[in-house]
Amino acid sequence: MSARLRRALVDAGGALVFPLIAIAISFVLGAFIVLATGNNPLTAYSALVRGAVGSPTAIGRTLLGATPLIFTGLAVAVAFRAGLFNIGGEGQLYIGAITAAWLGVTLASLGALSIPLVLLACVVTGFLWGAIPGVLKARFGAHEVITTIMLNYIGINLATYLALKPLRTEGLVPGTDAIDFAARIPFIGLGLGRANYGFLLALLAAVVAYLLLWRTRRGFQIRAVGLSPGAANYAGMGIGINTVLALAIGGAFAAVGGGVEVLGVYGKMTVPFVTNLGFNGIGVALLGRNHPAGVVLGALLFGGLASGAQEMQFSTDVPLQLTNVLLAVILLLVTATKLVELLLGKRARALAGARLEKGLGQ
Amino acid sequence: MDEIFGAPGQLLASTIRNATPLVFAALGGMFSERSGVVNIGLEGLMLISAFAGVVGAFLSGSAVVALGFALAAGLIFALIHALMCVTFEADQIISGTAINLLALGGTGFLMVSIFGSGGTSPRVEGFGEVPIPLLSGIPVVGPALFSQSVLVYLMYVMVPVTFFVLFRTPFGLRLRATGESPEAVDTAGVSVGRMRYYGVALSGLLASLGGIYLSMGILSAFTEGMTNGRGFIALAALIFGRWNPIGATGAALLFGFALAVTFSAPQEVIPNEFLQMIPYVLTIVALAVFGGRAIAPAAIGKPYRKE
Repeated sequence: MSARLRRALVDAGGALVFPLIAIAISFVLGAFIVLATGNNPLTAYSALVRGAVGSPTAIGRTLLGATPLIFTGLAVAVAFRAGLFNIGGEGQLYIGAITAAWLGVTLASLGALSIPLVLLACVVTGFLWGAIPGVLKARFGAHEVITTIMLNYIGINLATYLALKPLRTEGLVPGTDAIDFAARIPFIGLGLGRANYGFLLALLAAVVAYLLLWRTRRGFQIRAVGLSPGAANYAGMGIGINTVLALAIGGAFAAVGGGVEVLGVYGKMTVPFVTNLGFNGIGVALLGRNHPAGVVLGALLFGGLASGAQEMQFSTDVPLQLTNVLLAVILLLVTATKLVELLLGKRARALAGARLEKGLGQ
Repeated sequence: MDEIFGAPGQLLASTIRNATPLVFAALGGMFSERSGVVNIGLEGLMLISAFAGVVGAFLSGSAVVALGFALAAGLIFALIHALMCVTFEADQIISGTAINLLALGGTGFLMVSIFGSGGTSPRVEGFGEVPIPLLSGIPVVGPALFSQSVLVYLMYVMVPVTFFVLFRTPFGLRLRATGESPEAVDTAGVSVGRMRYYGVALSGLLASLGGIYLSMGILSAFTEGMTNGRGFIALAALIFGRWNPIGATGAALLFGFALAVTFSAPQEVIPNEFLQMIPYVLTIVALAVFGGRAIAPAAIGKPYRKE
């Protein structure tokens, strides 16, 4: 085995240490919760797996759930590569969703041709929205964690206002007009139920994110700023412009995710709309170690759990909300540096790579 | 003016009611963040306590038991946050986000497990209004400020108490020093980790008062996701008030006023959604103006490791 290959394998194995420990502990904890509800954990978990991958319909449901999380996960991962925390995926997704809900109806006469146009518009609005915390940081030194959190609620309220007032249509559920089926992202078929080609768009987005970060000069600069701002600055790479771009690109990914939800799943934006996709994107990105391939895997796990939960609730009487608890516990544990040291010793922790560490005080 | 703001007395009373949970949570966040631990989990701490309080009241019919349940739930969740951030050196922002999701998922799960369905819990006996004799008789201001729930009066008391504890006691000095310069605290023989556990634990207890006020002071039932961003508004108040108890309370009152207007203003004049943005927009503007640098505790967000 060549040294390079071995190194790559060790790296990959090390990268999996944190995610696997977090997942394992979460599932053990979940087993106890299942026991407490008076059910057999094995029955519950086998139903969970069956509901996630046991049939084409189940797989379709998993893909459907994973799709938006790939986008919001990428939104976190790209920013993270520049050393930035993007907690704003929730608001960015809403900005994309309302963009798509508005233009999807307006451009519906173009049929399928409108789909790329609408998604391109989501890229633009998401990019601009995502750039706001970047500019606030680069120009004024305002911390992006706080500004992206605040922008979540500004974005959600803005999208809600647009859906409820200017764009509202008559109907039982408050929200925008339904987009013509010809202008929606079509179903994949193949027995995969309601899974649509949005999943393939999400995979494409992951490839784009990879190429952007590892195969372009700009991506190199973004990663350099994240790894060592001082050195990047010394090398003449503008920290400000890369900060703005990383957050803006992240915003674009999350917004396209919102657009795909509207064009592929709901056909409109209702109030209330989807929740926590942005926040769960953080978990997806961290499980995936902020690598696009890892993000896809993390999103599939999250999507699979959500999908399997329905079968679990049906077969046993464990409420499907259990998986939300499991996902939260995974997120809670996925950066727990010392826990990994306690369980596996310092050597394994060193393998797992650099600590996730970032102060708020600057 | 009246058509936007309603009667002045009512608006003041509504401002106080809306500000109360924000003040509690912001004061709580202050203890945590002054000790150096970011707490964006205030939303979750409030939510789990709002739920636990209702469960306590449902099981016992007693408001005191309900309060005990709420405090216990807030404390437990805060200690989970402290365990992650201090002992396991996990990322504080991630842990806080996870606390929020855990509270949301956990209450959703327990709603079905305990009450049989999600949505809204059965009604319980809430904290009624207890008018303070004489004071509540003052025209306009009296009924608004002094004909409220006991928890509101507790809030009035907690503001000066927090100020006193933070700035006039040895404990407060140590706590603030832990957030500014943990090395110095360590050198002085005080455990940084223990101070941070205290800070985060206090944030859980205070946030839980805000949570139970939502479910049993303003309403008499728990509704899934009922905090609806209030924890983040409290965080905004904390930052807007520059990590100072008086400033944060002022900010919380301002944001409570914005929320109160949301309920009284007719939609055609100012849409609700724009009123609801006010706290977040103001906080961003404040961060841009102050630069965010000089005002946050210096060591906030960083795990402390002995060299």
